[in-house]
Amino acid sequence: MAEPIVKIRELTKLYSQGEIQVTALDRITLDIAAGEFLALMGPSGSGKSTLLHIIAGVDRPTSGQCLVQGVDVTKLNESQLADWRNQNVGFIFQTFNLIPVLTAAENVELPLLLTRLSRTQRRKQVETALEVVGLADRAKHLPRQLSGGQEQRVAIARALVTDPALIVADEPTGNLDSHSAQEVLSALQALRKDAGKTIIMVTHDPKAAAFGTRQIHLEKGELSQ
Amino acid sequence: MTVSTFILKNALRNKRRALLSISSVAVSLFLLVTLQVALRELTLPPQSAGAELRVAVRNKISLTNPLPVRQRGVIEKIPGVEAVTPFTWFGGKYKGEEGMSFAQFAMDAEKLHSVFGEAKMNGDGYEKFNATKDACVLGKITADKYHLKVGDQITLDSTVYPGSLSFHIAGIYAGTPDDRNMLFRQDYLDESIGVPGYVGMWWLKVKSADDMAPVIKAINAAFQNTSAEVRAESERNFQLGFISMLGNIKTLIASISTVVVFTLVLVTASTMSMAVRERFRELAILKALGFRRRELFAFILAESFGLAVVGALLGIGGAYCLYTFGNIGKMTAGIFVSFEVTPRIMGVAALVAALLGIISAVAPSLSVARMSVVNGLKTLD
Ligand SMILES: Nc1ncnc2c1ncn2[C@@H]1O[C@H](COP(=O)(O)OP(=O)(O)O)[C@@H](O)[C@H]1O
Ligand SMILES: [Mg+2]
Repeated sequence: MAEPIVKIRELTKLYSQGEIQVTALDRITLDIAAGEFLALMGPSGSGKSTLLHIIAGVDRPTSGQCLVQGVDVTKLNESQLADWRNQNVGFIFQTFNLIPVLTAAENVELPLLLTRLSRTQRRKQVETALEVVGLADRAKHLPRQLSGGQEQRVAIARALVTDPALIVADEPTGNLDSHSAQEVLSALQALRKDAGKTIIMVTHDPKAAAFGTRQIHLEKGELSQ
Repeated sequence: MTVSTFILKNALRNKRRALLSISSVAVSLFLLVTLQVALRELTLPPQSAGAELRVAVRNKISLTNPLPVRQRGVIEKIPGVEAVTPFTWFGGKYKGEEGMSFAQFAMDAEKLHSVFGEAKMNGDGYEKFNATKDACVLGKITADKYHLKVGDQITLDSTVYPGSLSFHIAGIYAGTPDDRNMLFRQDYLDESIGVPGYVGMWWLKVKSADDMAPVIKAINAAFQNTSAEVRAESERNFQLGFISMLGNIKTLIASISTVVVFTLVLVTASTMSMAVRERFRELAILKALGFRRRELFAFILAESFGLAVVGALLGIGGAYCLYTFGNIGKMTAGIFVSFEVTPRIMGVAALVAALLGIISAVAPSLSVARMSVVNGLKTLD
């Protein structure tokens, strides 16, 4: 088997609230292969978001290793992490993903402002990304002029516009009706199939998880396959 | 989209708030400029041509104590003195007005030209002033205000002497820094209702700037140990002495200005904090997308700086236009004749605005620096 894109070893995250210590993640060991669409399931408070955040380089573990494409993200400093995220990770959140005063196209363009691409190159990439999620005709719309499902698809376009290897989504369908959820999940699925992206999606909905190529369960910070 | 359009869209996302903060900066800076100009005009009396050769001589006890006429002969004999004229406050009220809207002084008609030569008069104003006992000359501002012209008669009720006096206007002068006073003849005052033998003060002209110091010294010495000791001083010092009589206006204006600036800082800083707090989650998302702290600082700074600069342009520019192109005499009912918005005052106001933009960005930047992506995301989830 090829080298996994994400390699997690003995990952632990503790939160101390006064006297009490909460173990959000308890010595997790996990490999994720390139091109996988991993559904990360589990009840509320089981540590799903925490794990996702550490893999995506926005949170730090208490101990353990997390290698993404061979890079130990836990060892990067703030500034290196910011660059790394911009180049290697696409984010999709549950709600309020988009900046309300920017159009769909402008929202998608945001991560490109950090690159050296010219204006025309940026515009081209934005167009492509919006086409991939089937929203080329909504480029000039503001978030409030879009449905919930469309908003999430714009977020997907933003996540893929920098062409990152890894896309992480934290309950991307949590706030959507089943029809819109279907739209979003199909878009993610297509991303894996057509573009070969690795996707990690947190969800507690088994129907959503069924779109993934593999499902894993977290329970009180521990994996239970 | 460019970074600047992004910043602009952010700054204008809440249009009413942007408008309010811009106007609060504009109004405050307008006020600040106004106060500073007023302060400057009050503490720096307009320099008139010929001021460097003029000396004021007043009673050492106070300006309101009179001086005996016999001093004149003594002063005139002092080497370096070119011309001397009495100058006596009449304190007249015009047309039953509540207060005095212009000052009147009795003087020596023949000496008007030699002592206050910068007063320019059309026609035969000087000759008529010399020839007619009840003649007076009037500053153009006052003449315009009351629609008075040469030949008109005016009557003033004195608040110093009993009764009133009538005058015929012999000329209307302009060209002094403050064309408002009325001047009439000391001999007319003495004969009509004055106290002959006494004048209010002396004004004199020296022959050259080099004579200034020795003449002042000689005059001060000449009347030492007499019943009417005097204080002779340059015109500039005399006027500065007047200003200190205005009370502690300088401190007052300085403290009002400080309060204005301080309030402004509080208002803008809290507006910026509010604007950023509302966007906490968005800033967290930007961070997740790879924006670094310093880029987020730059966004915040650009926004608060931008609002301050726009406000400053409106406030300072508005003050400049109003005071430069407006009629300040009319606006202030004659209290100020000149109201110059100097480059220095505009510079100080612009500096205040710039600092304001920076200071307002500090608190929000600090809270953004402390924010982790994870906590920022939680703010609305
Ligand atoms: N900032 C924090 N401080 C203290 N405890 C936290 C913090 N964030 C998360 N936790 C705790 O860690 C556990 C896992 O949280 P999370 O990863 O958000 O769960 P999930 O996403 O599966 O609902 C929970 O028990 C939660 O209360
Ligand atoms: Mg969660």
